[in-house]
Amino acid sequence: MTTPALANIPVSVLAGYLGANKTAMSRLRGVAAAVLLGLTVAGCGYNTIPTYEEQAKAKWADVQNNYQRRADLIPNLVATVQGFAKQEREVLTAVVEARAKATQVKIDVSQLTDPDKLRQFQDAQNQLSGALGRLLAVSERYPDLKSNQNFLALQSQLEGTENRIAVARRDYIEAVRVYNTELRTFPGVLWAATFFRANKPMAGFTASETSQTPPQVKF
Amino acid sequence: MNTGRISSAVVSGAGRLAIAGMALLCGIVAAFTLNLPALSGRVVDQANIIAADTRNALTGKLAELEAKSGIQLVVATVGSLEGQEIEPYANQLFRSWKLGEKSKNNGVLLLVAPNQRKVRIEVGYGLEGTLTDALSKVIITNAITPRFKAGDFGGGIVRGVDDIITVLTTDASEWQQRPALRLDRQPTFDPANFLLLLPLIMFILLIFSSPSLRKFLRAHAAAGSYSSGGWSSSGGSWSSGSSSSSDSGGGFSGGGGDSGGGGASGSW
Repeated sequence: MTTPALANIPVSVLAGYLGANKTAMSRLRGVAAAVLLGLTVAGCGYNTIPTYEEQAKAKWADVQNNYQRRADLIPNLVATVQGFAKQEREVLTAVVEARAKATQVKIDVSQLTDPDKLRQFQDAQNQLSGALGRLLAVSERYPDLKSNQNFLALQSQLEGTENRIAVARRDYIEAVRVYNTELRTFPGVLWAATFFRANKPMAGFTASETSQTPPQVKF
Repeated sequence: MNTGRISSAVVSGAGRLAIAGMALLCGIVAAFTLNLPALSGRVVDQANIIAADTRNALTGKLAELEAKSGIQLVVATVGSLEGQEIEPYANQLFRSWKLGEKSKNNGVLLLVAPNQRKVRIEVGYGLEGTLTDALSKVIITNAITPRFKAGDFGGGIVRGVDDIITVLTTDASEWQQRPALRLDRQPTFDPANFLLLLPLIMFILLIFSSPSLRKFLRAHAAAGSYSSGGWSSSGGSWSSGSSSSSDSGGGFSGGGGDSGGGGASGSW
């Protein structure tokens, strides 16, 4: 923040020197004025809103990637459980269906200002979490499955992914809070009311505390 | 009537601003309530469960790892998780210590909470492909928790650290990549860099080749007023900026790495 303010001291001094001389080229003065204006505008926080917006969007990409990563693990997990517990058809189908539904709901970064869209995404993912929880609970009844190396590896990967989702969601919520605060507080509110009228506050997650913590998988 | 509406709008605007400001303040206060231990070394034994000679041996091993591969592995034991689960606590501790190099995010944190009977290996972004969640879990269940169950905290931690180092240093792709990275660091002339600088150079040349400025400099250099102008004051503030960033030169510190929650946890 302070760097542009310091950097424009020499430029303003130069502009002063040039202005004092009557024969100074007006073109040069124009260039110096443009640079000075650019640095001043940057120093006053013109860049803050776009920067925070891009950060929040990047955090959203992380959230979506981690959910995708979980969805990618599921076919392998279902196949492994099926090998040991074919009779649990109902639970297995529920997971497959919930996964199909969850992967259909995708949110483009431009739709992040729509709370309804975000709620849809969250509902679909929560349903998948519930179905997965039931599948893992059922697998407790099969000792062969529980000691299967492939299943253990998948289980720890799933656990790790759930934790990554929790971290990514926390980061996204924080980035959105910073961005929304900038839109509503001084001096960001001045830029928001003039140059960034199209920028709307983004929607955060309205999660219950229980879905923030990863489900505990017992061995 | 019109002025009344305007003043009420100003008041409500100011009120909203005040509320938003207060919300921001409360948010900041809430974010800093977690009481995290300081990064006093490579082994931070807050819970006091590691014997002194074991701690010294561990520190040597961890320093050797960083010297060889640049990876920062830190062992921490805490007396309390501040009422949190071990996963979010480990992530926040990792991020406040900034383990690993900033550009590579190659840090690992082995966190033990003996009172909660919980252990976690938190892996930085850059090592997620090497020390995977599944491998971290294997290390915890095979090397660490059986010894913790028997009350042998020092032994469990030493075996866990040995296994983590083995995983981190025997991965073929990691070792093959290092010479390539070395080569990249040699200064080479890249025309693209020069093209980016070209407008700036031209701008400076333009300024200094202007006859009026040259005339001005010649006139004032003799009088000595040039050095006492705005130039010297801006130079002074630059140097103060750089000196404040180099005050952490003393002990061991994190390199700016980040973690997104990779790794595994276990209990005993």
